[in-house]
Amino acid sequence: MISPPKKDNVFRALDRKLGAVAEFTMRQYRTKLSTWVVLGIGFIAISIVVLFYVDSMQQEIEAIDNDGDSYDWDGDGYPTGQERIYGTDPDNPDSNPGTFTPPIAPDPPEKWINEDDFDWDLYATGDTTAGYDDDGDCRLADSTESQKDKNRNNVNCDIILDYSVIRGEWNEPQSDGFVDEDPDEDKYGKEAIHRAFLLAIGKMGFVFLLGIFLPLFLATGLIREEMENSTMHFMIAKPIARRDIFLGRIVGYLGIVWPYIIAMGVLVGLISGFAGPSSGFFRFADLGMWMAIIFATMLATLVYGMLFCALGTLWKRGIVLALPFAAWELGMAIVSFNAPSASILRFSVIGWSLNIIDAAALVVWPNMSLFINMGLWGGGHNTGGYWDNSIEGAGALSAFASDTGLGISPIATIVVSTVVLLFQAIILWIIGSAVFKGKEIE
Amino acid sequence: MMPDIQQVGPAQTQQWAPEISAPVVLLENVSKTYGKIHALSEITLALSGGVTGILGMNGAGKSTLFNLLMGKLKPSSGSIKLFGTDPWKNPAPYARIGFVPEHEKMHDWMTAHSFVSLFARLNGLTRDEAKVEADRVLDFVGLTDVAHKQIGRYSKGMRQRVKIAHALVNDPDLIVLDEPLQGCDPLARTTIMNVIRELGKMGRTVLVSSHILHEIERITEQIVILHNGRLLALGNLHAIREKMDNIPHTISIGCENPKELAKDIINNDAVFGISFPSNDNLQVQTHNLNEVHKELPSLIVANGHIVNSIDNPDDDLGSILNYLTGGLN
Repeated sequence: MISPPKKDNVFRALDRKLGAVAEFTMRQYRTKLSTWVVLGIGFIAISIVVLFYVDSMQQEIEAIDNDGDSYDWDGDGYPTGQERIYGTDPDNPDSNPGTFTPPIAPDPPEKWINEDDFDWDLYATGDTTAGYDDDGDCRLADSTESQKDKNRNNVNCDIILDYSVIRGEWNEPQSDGFVDEDPDEDKYGKEAIHRAFLLAIGKMGFVFLLGIFLPLFLATGLIREEMENSTMHFMIAKPIARRDIFLGRIVGYLGIVWPYIIAMGVLVGLISGFAGPSSGFFRFADLGMWMAIIFATMLATLVYGMLFCALGTLWKRGIVLALPFAAWELGMAIVSFNAPSASILRFSVIGWSLNIIDAAALVVWPNMSLFINMGLWGGGHNTGGYWDNSIEGAGALSAFASDTGLGISPIATIVVSTVVLLFQAIILWIIGSAVFKGKEIE
Repeated sequence: MMPDIQQVGPAQTQQWAPEISAPVVLLENVSKTYGKIHALSEITLALSGGVTGILGMNGAGKSTLFNLLMGKLKPSSGSIKLFGTDPWKNPAPYARIGFVPEHEKMHDWMTAHSFVSLFARLNGLTRDEAKVEADRVLDFVGLTDVAHKQIGRYSKGMRQRVKIAHALVNDPDLIVLDEPLQGCDPLARTTIMNVIRELGKMGRTVLVSSHILHEIERITEQIVILHNGRLLALGNLHAIREKMDNIPHTISIGCENPKELAKDIINNDAVFGISFPSNDNLQVQTHNLNEVHKELPSLIVANGHIVNSIDNPDDDLGSILNYLTGGLN
């Protein structure tokens, strides 16, 4: 029975030539062992990093008593911090709050560890003064006014935060004595390590590793293998332009790679969402980060797919041509960590892809640079200098977080980077199909 | 090689229509060279309708000719037109062309039905239309009952028939078959030959290449002979045959009593020599093959000879080529 002809809509039109090439390509991938090996290795590589992360989230970061006020120097059972607040002599066993009427019970020493955390909730963008003396040891009655305003900004017991627009980073915080000097290392460290992990796995694991190696092994042979196997004859002998064959093959490759990237992103996102530090049972706040990581990796696999497929079409050993590109991109990835605004990054694919993740991090985690800066300062209690007191995780986060380097707002950065990557893909498609068109197939 | 930028343009497949007056296949002074090697030189050929056999030894240029027709190679000089359109620049004519490649490699992991229907969609059919079309062409080549088996598990002859089925999608006007009978068992050969003959009867233009004269002879009389990249002869096989009848031929007859048979055959005027290579074999030398073949059956029946086989050992492409080139090769 012949059904009456249906009107050709977009979906029916796609169902024809291009869709057929794409469907063929996806089914072909499924039958190849190499596909599963490549996807499996990608899964294992990402999983190993995730295991290290989950392990570090399980371990408590040792609490450090930066100001030393949990110790009972005179042996009367009262920690120094408690004695200071009540105005008794921490070095005299006979002077302690237990002699008061009614007597005050001694605090457990733990209460005076991490008792003066950073006060993020009090900070607003543009403020230059921040901090709150939670444990009251700055505001002590017997402190002199100059002790209470050591940084001489006429605000007692605060921290001066000074963002240097020229250097593009925060200056070392100037604190009045004993303000925010005993932060919660575990709380800060977990948060910092978690953010560093997301940035590291997003940039190096997803965009670099998956973004380059999946196309390197899966897309380089898209046209070439068919030409070598003499199975391209079937396709060439049909009324379909070679440019459309090229595009259809890429669409089929994306049909395998994109769902894989989304699945991996969702999987790692779920694991880190449950394992990461959060007030609830799950870190919903990271959703935007994972969307950006998946999106950036999808764009990277699109551009690299076009590039490597074109190189494979150009020469039998296209992978040899592709490797220098992969090396170049690795170099650019390293450059982007240290000099995110270097103009050489504009001539890479990874520079634009990483921009998307960096920009998303600024949206999802506002005050990121302040967060890093405070962690590096670490309470400023040690006399050795800026870095001596850094909290665990702050250094790692500082290494993986970078500015977007375009000098525009994060959202604009994401839009511009996306447009540039799509433009790169289209140019490479035109070049690739021109190469394919000029190829004689034996 | 520099990519040919000019070919990258808007798809022209939608608007394409064949030129009414143009021959299906038209080659004008087409040459294909690889460095100093001339794979094809100065071929001029126009074909429309009917089955044409492309005969030639291995390396004569048959596959190069087909690859040029199928837009896989670009001619070094000359022009190729299919339905009036240059296939290297525009793949649109392939909507009306089916191609059976010579290569044995196929997508072994697919079933015949999914292979044919998927590639039918490249002709512009939708998924549903393609399935109906795949059923039709697989039925035409007689593979309906095994259509859902993997191609990898097919015999050589079945694989060839799948290729033919895939070429018949959308009822093409021109079907190009590159060595379709190579490596097939006798049963598959007969089936494929019948399919090709039927296509010819349906008014399609069919090009079929082979290096074996008898295969082509059973399919068609219209032949093109290629030799060392040149077009050696074009026309009716019988006409060539008749000319050749006047040169000496050998007929080999396998029979139980060669000497008795020889006595009867020697009376024929066309026979000028007889030899006995073995006890059950007789070789007859003649300069008029047709004459002897006409007399032979009645002679055998009349005298009650027991004959096992009659062969013309030198009646092959080699001897035709030898004749046409005047023994120069």
